Amino acid sequence: MKTIPIALTLMLAGSVPAFTQDVTKSPPPGAFKAVSSLVKLPDFLPGMGQLFVDPATLPAGPFLAYDHDGKLVSTVFMLPIKDLSPDKRFDDLAAPGGVVDHVSVYYNAGHPGVEEPHAHVVLWHVSKADEARVAK
Amino acid sequence: MRGKDDGAHVWFDPIGIRVSPGQMVRWTNRDPGNSHTTTSYHPAIFERPLRMPPGARPWNSDYLLPGQSFSVTFDREGVYDYYCVPHEHAGMVGRIVVGMPTPPAPSAEAGSANPVPEVALSAFPPVEEILAKGIVRRA
Ligand SMILES: [Cu+2]
Repeated sequence: MKTIPIALTLMLAGSVPAFTQDVTKSPPPGAFKAVSSLVKLPDFLPGMGQLFVDPATLPAGPFLAYDHDGKLVSTVFMLPIKDLSPDKRFDDLAAPGGVVDHVSVYYNAGHPGVEEPHAHVVLWHVSKADEARVAK
Repeated sequence: MRGKDDGAHVWFDPIGIRVSPGQMVRWTNRDPGNSHTTTSYHPAIFERPLRMPPGARPWNSDYLLPGQSFSVTFDREGVYDYYCVPHEHAGMVGRIVVGMPTPPAPSAEAGSANPVPEVALSAFPPVEEILAKGIVRRA
């Protein structure tokens, strides 16, 4: 019965593409780590939520932000002000969070992980009213 | 240590204070959404320029989470400048004047591999103002 192991192998190989990387629930899969486990920051940041990032993508991200129920609310990119220059660009930043409702862009003075003034570019996956889910 | 919710502004409050020799200063992180440090300008800490009386002990709180505190007792008269590690480039610095230093000026800044950025240098309140008012808050 040599056919059985082969069939098994085919089945396993065939199942890999069907496995989607769902980031809509916390914690996200793959290389994403809780920001509070990487640097000394509060686990839940008022106005943002609970953040996850793949350390290899620092400082730009994407950072994935979740509410208190572990639902994805936004994807955040952190772009150092000094890198917004003629000599530098950010291309092909991953955006795995799905549908974007609206976008916020604002200045941040810095925090552990991105220790310099930078811009937060926030792709909100929820409505303006639902931003309240991560207000505090 | 304070900051706005969106992290656009961060500061020490007060930014300048005068104390007597032997008094203790305690920093508390009152910013709910960020970590801060209080770190003295001293060659022994991140090879920064000396901006405190020679011979006085340098300090570094490391990152303080919201609600956490750090204390330093100041025995030697003089002017002590300090900064917040992730926010020095946002001008988050402070100055402590101990006693009545002579001359009433900040310590000389020797050449350093990691000089103080202009945005921080311009943020220190004048020693004369701290001596006159005792407490100086961010404008
Ligand atoms: Cu700070």
